[in-house]
Amino acid sequence: MRTSYVLLAILALLDTDARAGTIEMKVNGLVCGFCAQGIEKTLRKNPATADVLVSLEDRLVAVVTKEGQDISDDELKKALTASGYDVKAIERTATPLADIRARLGRKSR
Amino acid sequence: MNLRLRCAPGALSCMAVLFSFPAFAKPIAFANGTTVMAEYGAGTMRELQVFYAPRYFFSAGLGHIALDSDIDDRSRDITYARLNYLVKRWNLESAQANIFTWGSAGRATTGDDGAGHFAWNTGAQFDYETRRVYGSLKSDYYSSSAFSHRIDTLQLGVAPYAHDYSTLATWFVVQARQYTGQIHNGTEVALLLRLFKRGAWIEAGPTTDGKVQAMFMLNF
Repeated sequence: MRTSYVLLAILALLDTDARAGTIEMKVNGLVCGFCAQGIEKTLRKNPATADVLVSLEDRLVAVVTKEGQDISDDELKKALTASGYDVKAIERTATPLADIRARLGRKSR
Repeated sequence: MNLRLRCAPGALSCMAVLFSFPAFAKPIAFANGTTVMAEYGAGTMRELQVFYAPRYFFSAGLGHIALDSDIDDRSRDITYARLNYLVKRWNLESAQANIFTWGSAGRATTGDDGAGHFAWNTGAQFDYETRRVYGSLKSDYYSSSAFSHRIDTLQLGVAPYAHDYSTLATWFVVQARQYTGQIHNGTEVALLLRLFKRGAWIEAGPTTDGKVQAMFMLNF
């Protein structure tokens, strides 16, 4: 029984780690594909970035960081400002990018 | 013969003295990005531009513009090096507006003598866009010892649906363009279909004179 609890705890921790690296940002001025292209290009240059999602509809830029790595709020704001955009909010979530894509897909239908 | 800049009457030329509302075609797409633009302007103007933007507010590059006057049948060719600068950007919740300006210097030739003349250029552009509505006004002034002229372009566009990053954007655009300096009398009006996805953009359509207006742009 005790072994089961330990295993469950380890699994929970692993799951949390896998989801911990999603950063969602609300960005003003996102109206065209070129805007998104520039932001994606800049964020992908960061060595801690694993994946990037940009949604014009939701004014959302989501970054998934590599396991065990992070990008500070200051770095993110600097990257978006250097791309010519304004970050209005930054939220760290445990939502995988696939779930965000699914959520955005449902909204657009 | 020196061709003097003549300010044609009319709302378009008055609005476009300094600013321009061009469509999404921006001289600076994004930081560390390269922009290649080619335009065929209804048999009057052809232009090719290549810019690299080290920062989001600044780009530099080369261009060539060829103008064929339908008034005096003279051609004018200008090859130039240009600097583009984003003067101001407004990032609104669901919209963006920009003011760009640029200046260039280069070499001009005319169909008269083929001799080279120093030429310079300055221009400005204002644009406002949401994902469904777009307006831009652009004014481009060229001068050399052999000629001077201005090209003012107004574009208004609507999108039948709001595109996203991964989907094809479709726009219906009305373009009005005036030339000064003995290039073309009157206003060229074109109805354009614009399509773009990620870094690739194409727009084309007929003018009211039955000529073709087209533009291609690539950002990478």
